[in-house]
Amino acid sequence: MMKNNKAKIRRILFGRSGNDGLVFKVVLYTLLIGISFIFLYPLLSMFTKSLMTLEDLINTSISWIPRTVTLQNYKTAFEWLHFGQTLLDSLKVSIYPTIATVLSSALIGFGFGRFQFPGKKLLMGIMISMFLIPSVLTYIPTTVLYKDLKILGIELNLMDSIKAFWVPALFGNGIRQTIFILIFYQFFRIIPDELFEAAEVDGASTLRTFLTIAIPMVAPAFLICGLYSFVWYWNETSLARLYFGSNYTTLPMSLDSFISMYSSMYSQGNVTLDSVSSTYNIGVQYAMTLISILPLLIVYLFAQKWFVEGVDRSGIAGN
Amino acid sequence: MRRIVIPSKIKDLWIKIHSFIQKVLGYIKIGFQYFFRYTGLSWLNKKFKLLPNKIKKTIYAILFISPWLIGLFYISLPILFKSVRMALSDKYYYITDVGWQITGNWYDFTQFKRILMDEPFHFQQIIATAQDIAIVVPLVVIFALILGLMLNQKIKGRGIFRTIFFIPVILLSGNMLANFSRNDLLTVPAIANGTITSFITDYFPDLFNEVLLAAFGKIVLILWLSGVQILIFLAGLQKMDPSIYEAAKIDGASMWELFWKITLPALIPLIYLNIIYTTIVYANLSNNAIVQIINVHSDESQTLGGTLTDEVNYGRAYSAALSWILFTIELVVIGFYSLVIRLSSKRYE
Repeated sequence: MMKNNKAKIRRILFGRSGNDGLVFKVVLYTLLIGISFIFLYPLLSMFTKSLMTLEDLINTSISWIPRTVTLQNYKTAFEWLHFGQTLLDSLKVSIYPTIATVLSSALIGFGFGRFQFPGKKLLMGIMISMFLIPSVLTYIPTTVLYKDLKILGIELNLMDSIKAFWVPALFGNGIRQTIFILIFYQFFRIIPDELFEAAEVDGASTLRTFLTIAIPMVAPAFLICGLYSFVWYWNETSLARLYFGSNYTTLPMSLDSFISMYSSMYSQGNVTLDSVSSTYNIGVQYAMTLISILPLLIVYLFAQKWFVEGVDRSGIAGN
Repeated sequence: MRRIVIPSKIKDLWIKIHSFIQKVLGYIKIGFQYFFRYTGLSWLNKKFKLLPNKIKKTIYAILFISPWLIGLFYISLPILFKSVRMALSDKYYYITDVGWQITGNWYDFTQFKRILMDEPFHFQQIIATAQDIAIVVPLVVIFALILGLMLNQKIKGRGIFRTIFFIPVILLSGNMLANFSRNDLLTVPAIANGTITSFITDYFPDLFNEVLLAAFGKIVLILWLSGVQILIFLAGLQKMDPSIYEAAKIDGASMWELFWKITLPALIPLIYLNIIYTTIVYANLSNNAIVQIINVHSDESQTLGGTLTDEVNYGRAYSAALSWILFTIELVVIGFYSLVIRLSSKRYE
């Protein structure tokens, strides 16, 4: 009887095959929760600090829970950012190029995914190897090139306008656009040939099969690419500053200039209650950081499934 | 009664609008027909239909990928050539009405010599960056593998964990990481204040210590960089055939053996992929020293004018050379770790 019980307890604790016992589960959940905390730590820390008053921020004995919760930091941050205008600029700077990216990626992906033609492997090889070239390498020559870029005899005047983002995207040179082309390529490749052949027998032209058969079937690809492209253009500050100068100020750019102003003010010495500025302090900085990522977090919460799907369906893991 | 009258009016109006649109479309169609006939396009179309299917397909394909082809020849390739030429020049500047000027012979390698010999501070930064990349990349891949394996277990709330692990993918940018490191948010206080580190130094051999300490000092950075990689591993793990595991279990394999003999060999292609991906992403984030030097010195006047005054201190040519050095570092890191994986996976073949 005793032996039987012991074996039972043993089985509950350690499981039959090593990964279904209670001990294993407890360890796994503890680790996962701990790691989740580390993942969220910067955001949580910023969030609580952004709710603190100046006195609490300077008091080193307070690290997590503010004595008095205040929204003053957010108020200051909103005012400093000129939130309405900056948000509008951000949306413009990310949505226009996203549309261009998605449209051209769909066309190019269809060209590569649906047709067999001589030199296809070579061209795709060139495309992928161009993608491996780091973006830093292209910063400087890009600005040099865009200064007087002509395509097919048309003067483009890319610099100092949003065109510097969406025109290259139209020609397959958006931010990390190769990934999007490959996603569309994968999606178009798995559509059965019979569908297109049937349409062609019925007399539909290639353009028509593309518009009425292919595009509706790859709606998820549009969503995935659109979301990623939006996020990447939103986060792009170095290129935005190079191209737009001061014509457009996005939320992340604004945050950057606040931070550089803040760090130049307090580059040396301790901050005391007398010397701390009511605008340039860490509470406002964190509030501003959270404001600038809030739109992305909202997008992510609603479209989380598609971001994850993007990695699953791009075909990089497996086929 | 009124209720019926209004819809019928709307209906009439709709029919009118509809017939009008039809008419306009008809005119446009006729217009296009004439246009095609007189520009010779309809003749072309007829000829095109007579072509063999294979050539037709090729023409269609080229039409569809033409945006990319134009981009390749007008944007990407010129950028690449400009970058090479810039790195191999002495000065690279713009004069209004004249155009871009290049001084110096390309075969002198002026800028590379300068970086390697005359700029000890920058050289130091390059070495530090290379070390940093070389340490962070394998750690990211290993953490991603561990987290992928954990998420692949039968657990409740996998969706929630996955959501949390993937948040960094949308928030990650060089500025965000620079922001974190400036405010000491890259490590969790419990780790930073020594409870865990002292445990490590007590119980692990010295060689391990340094790597482990580096890992814990940057734990947030490492986890934040590993979002996509986790999903790649997870996708690979979920594609695996469960029957193989069952067969191995019947033969008496332990979990440990299952991992080393079945799971890991199957994941090796994904490990290569993740090494490449991590290196490229991490090396190009603007929080690393080389990228910062490039950002500051490539356009010192901040006007994008391309003037000669930019070139007095460092300038475009110097920055271009630096970016090629960064690229070389990336290639070396990728090559080294790929070799390590290859050698250590030889016994599976």
